[in-house]
Amino acid sequence: MSDALRSAVPLPIALRTGGSWKHYLRRCEFVLALAVVGGLWQAASVAVNNSTLVPPPLLVLDAWVSLWGEELPNDIIASLVHLGVGYGLGITIGLLLALLAARFVFVEIIIDPIVEILRPISAIAWIPLAILMFGIGGGVPVFLIFYAAIFPVFINTLAGIKQVDPRLVQAAEMLGASRRMIVTHVVMPAALPLILAGARLSLGVAWMALVAAELTGADSGLGWRIFWYQEFFAMDKVMAVILTIGILGYIFDTLLRWLQARITRWSPDGSEAER
Amino acid sequence: MTDAQRHWLPLPVFGVILLLWELAVRQSGQFTLYPYPVGVIEAGIRTIADGSLLAATSGSLYRVLLGFAIGGVLGIPLGLLMGSLQPVNRAMSPIIDSLRSIAPIAWIPMALLWLGIRGNAALFIVAYAAFFPFVVNTIQAVRLIDRNLVNAARALGASRALIARTVILPGSLPTILTGARISLAFAWGSIIAAELAMGIKVTAGGSGAVGLGQLMVSTLYIRRDVNGLVLYMILIGVISLLIDLLMRQLQRNLTPWR
Repeated sequence: MSDALRSAVPLPIALRTGGSWKHYLRRCEFVLALAVVGGLWQAASVAVNNSTLVPPPLLVLDAWVSLWGEELPNDIIASLVHLGVGYGLGITIGLLLALLAARFVFVEIIIDPIVEILRPISAIAWIPLAILMFGIGGGVPVFLIFYAAIFPVFINTLAGIKQVDPRLVQAAEMLGASRRMIVTHVVMPAALPLILAGARLSLGVAWMALVAAELTGADSGLGWRIFWYQEFFAMDKVMAVILTIGILGYIFDTLLRWLQARITRWSPDGSEAER
Repeated sequence: MTDAQRHWLPLPVFGVILLLWELAVRQSGQFTLYPYPVGVIEAGIRTIADGSLLAATSGSLYRVLLGFAIGGVLGIPLGLLMGSLQPVNRAMSPIIDSLRSIAPIAWIPMALLWLGIRGNAALFIVAYAAFFPFVVNTIQAVRLIDRNLVNAARALGASRALIARTVILPGSLPTILTGARISLAFAWGSIIAAELAMGIKVTAGGSGAVGLGQLMVSTLYIRRDVNGLVLYMILIGVISLLIDLLMRQLQRNLTPWR
């Protein structure tokens, strides 16, 4: 937000170059930090001197690069399919339920306590039952992601709709807008920042649920692959997959944060939503 | 609709749902395939009586609290440093951000290798999960402190140590406590995941240290008891609810000015 604001405000040339210098320096610090971590890691692996216990960073990098030519793309695709199906279902149904609950009071009265009862039961607690229901396979991660994603979206959408300024709705009504138009042009845009914040929250939780579900109850995907390599004690490959999970998680969060800031540029909630 | 109606209407609806559920399972006669309310209560009585429920729950809770404490002891000082010193923040935040993106459970194979199955691997996962909310919220806490208060204290001649103790610490406490609440909730979710994964994948050498997750795995694969699984799920939910209530109460007691 502050960066966007800064670039939107015209600055004197001198200040602008100062800014870019700072930017350059910041990038150096990042490289430095990376080098320090790599150095510490390397030192640890030299000290332990056991490439299974602490695989040296270059070995892991090597494994990571070569994995791209082998199973890694398939594993990433499998995980993305799990995520896409589960997350898509989760946010769609969460959104629909919230819209229904906002429109009809009796729906809210029934759904609200159900949500309050189920919400503390984390997706992870469902793993054994999900294994029983769907068997080992794609069903477990999809169900878990669906379950993890639905609550933040539902709660945030309902809260977002409820906090819409009634004066805006009244003003639209007075100007002769139809009900449908009020929903699409007044209520939804006003609730959008909170809905998107909910969607981002959902994705974070869903990613954790995905890894846990694939570790325990799936037969494909990145989480499953971790234990597959562990069976062969190929710890460099295990580390490579762990790093891939981290990188993907980081990319998703950055992407959604960027999208959130872009779509709701006008809103203070959208640009700096709480994590 | 009045407030009282809003609160009490769901109860009979749930009562009817549970009753219908019980009847439907009884009608189908598939008692081992579907969970049913009376069966869940029976499973509760059985596991409390033989002590396995209490032992597993206390084992999991003990590791959660220990991991939470480790996460706090390491996370709060780092957060204070990163929040108050810009160079430290710029150097550390990419590292923290990239490590934070890795789901704690993904570390299980390495943790098993480093620490073994005797509970320490799960402890590592929990501490890892608890660490990051502490760091992120402590940084935020230090940033949120009113600069005017710090400047006022400085103008009145307070030393750095005095400012840290009397302005920065109380000023950042509410947000740090919020971090602690998130951290403990996340830690509780992670211990269950870690124990489940350990229970499912590490079959050799017994179950290791027993927690709720391992108990669930043995209930799933050895005893095939659906009602037990539902009972453990409800228990997990109740505990996370209690954790949340407790932390909120603590927050109110420690920072009454909020």
